[in-house]
Amino acid sequence: MGRTATLAAWRPDPGNPKQQVAMLVDTTECIGCKACEVACKQWNQNEYRINQELGTYQSHPSLDAQTWTLIKFIEREDEDGVNQWLMQKHNCMHCSEAGCVTACPTDALHYGDYGVVTLDQEKCIGCAYCEPACPFDAIHVDKSAFRQTAQKAGKCTLCFDRISNAMQPACVSTCPTDCIKYGDRGELLKWAYARVEQLKAMGYANANVYGDKELGGLHELYVLLEKPEVYGLPVNPTLSKRLTFWKYGLQPVGKAILGAALFGMVINWFAARRTFKGGHGPGEEAEAPASLHD
Amino acid sequence: MAVRSKVKIKKFSRAQVVFHWVYGSSWFLLMLTGMSFLWRPDPGAAAVGLGPLLQGTVGQSFRLVHRVAAIGLMASPLTWLVGDFRSLWPDLKELLRFGINDARYMLIAPLHYTFGKPALPPQGKYNGGHKVNFYVVVLTFIGFVSSGLLMWFGRGAVPDGTFHMAQIVHSTSFWLGAIMTALHIYLTAVHPFTRRALSAMTQGFVELNYAKAEHKVWVEKEIAAGTAVLVEEPGDC
Repeated sequence: MGRTATLAAWRPDPGNPKQQVAMLVDTTECIGCKACEVACKQWNQNEYRINQELGTYQSHPSLDAQTWTLIKFIEREDEDGVNQWLMQKHNCMHCSEAGCVTACPTDALHYGDYGVVTLDQEKCIGCAYCEPACPFDAIHVDKSAFRQTAQKAGKCTLCFDRISNAMQPACVSTCPTDCIKYGDRGELLKWAYARVEQLKAMGYANANVYGDKELGGLHELYVLLEKPEVYGLPVNPTLSKRLTFWKYGLQPVGKAILGAALFGMVINWFAARRTFKGGHGPGEEAEAPASLHD
Repeated sequence: MAVRSKVKIKKFSRAQVVFHWVYGSSWFLLMLTGMSFLWRPDPGAAAVGLGPLLQGTVGQSFRLVHRVAAIGLMASPLTWLVGDFRSLWPDLKELLRFGINDARYMLIAPLHYTFGKPALPPQGKYNGGHKVNFYVVVLTFIGFVSSGLLMWFGRGAVPDGTFHMAQIVHSTSFWLGAIMTALHIYLTAVHPFTRRALSAMTQGFVELNYAKAEHKVWVEKEIAAGTAVLVEEPGDC
């Protein structure tokens, strides 16, 4: 399949912020060079951390608050006993129905232009509600940052600062094999499904597109050689029911009951000040005032 | 017009008063610093109300205050335990006994405190409302502490579903506690009649006439047993 020359020059329409952009990773073309990891660190000025797991070429065990892009290395035997070495560029999926945005109490995470889930670190208070809300383990709050700056969440921003200035995301612009493609989401999906057909014709029966329908549609799409679970990607992820109940059930009901209770107290006060004139209870007037000398 | 009693009866020890205010002030700080983040109903829209003021460093300061206040809340029972251990069991025993008289009180109280009738059944040191307030405080204390500690220290170590359940428990405790707090403050500081009970939690003493009207069983028992501590002081009426 052709390289991304057709997509390389693509820029979103600055006059149409509702346009859906995406990144597509053709994992079959990834060579695991980690240039995208370096470009991400460099552009975002994230701290370098040596955190290598033994027994793998993977640079970090997982994403963290300072590591927003990670090439995951998966070594396995397929059904025929053939060794496979799979690589998957892992970062924020920029979900259309994002758990992190639902959980964030301060608007630091929100749905930005072009379908990007943006994180404004200035607004973040480090509550970390976003961490367990993400089914992809793609956002983290830096636990170790206490002595440096304040604890803040960190995740891929799809280089919103670059793409909103007609540049490509840093990882896209540096990828030597052009396996990371960037462009209009609809066009990328067309390309992805055609690529999958091509792979199936080549004998890769499990090839599939990931991200088209998941969580309302992801803005990080994949062409995968194997089923999503092989890469550790959740199958048919959904927003946590507990999280949605907490946000859209419990909170409105709590506010309504508290409002009704306050209203009831106001009504009671108007009635009670007529009933209990001077603060005296019923029958109290008839009694002589109590005294120690009674 | 009735003349207010200058005689007061001791209802709470100094340790109990201190406990109440340590718990109350901690809870108030926790409520203010926590509830301010709940006013973001639509995550797709910009933050409204106090939301924009609470972002970033201000919000982080709130988070810090929230955690310091949480320590105050957790430690507050020590003030009662250490300061007046002897009153603990008798008071707890009464608070934990919820009888038919208390149930009748709860049914009648909304009408009584609005229209002055029907008459309330005679109550002990703690009326049915005090007891329900105590149950809510205990229940929310357990809810707050268990879910709060889990969210504070268990992040990343517990399954996501457990963390979300802790959020639900924390918020449920908040709404339950906030409604009870509003009612508690209204009845003890605003309501024309029952606000006369406030002195019990500021001075430890309450007007004898008021105590007779509201806690007849307790007052008669204390006087009969000779354990009532009465003082006469210049009233404010």
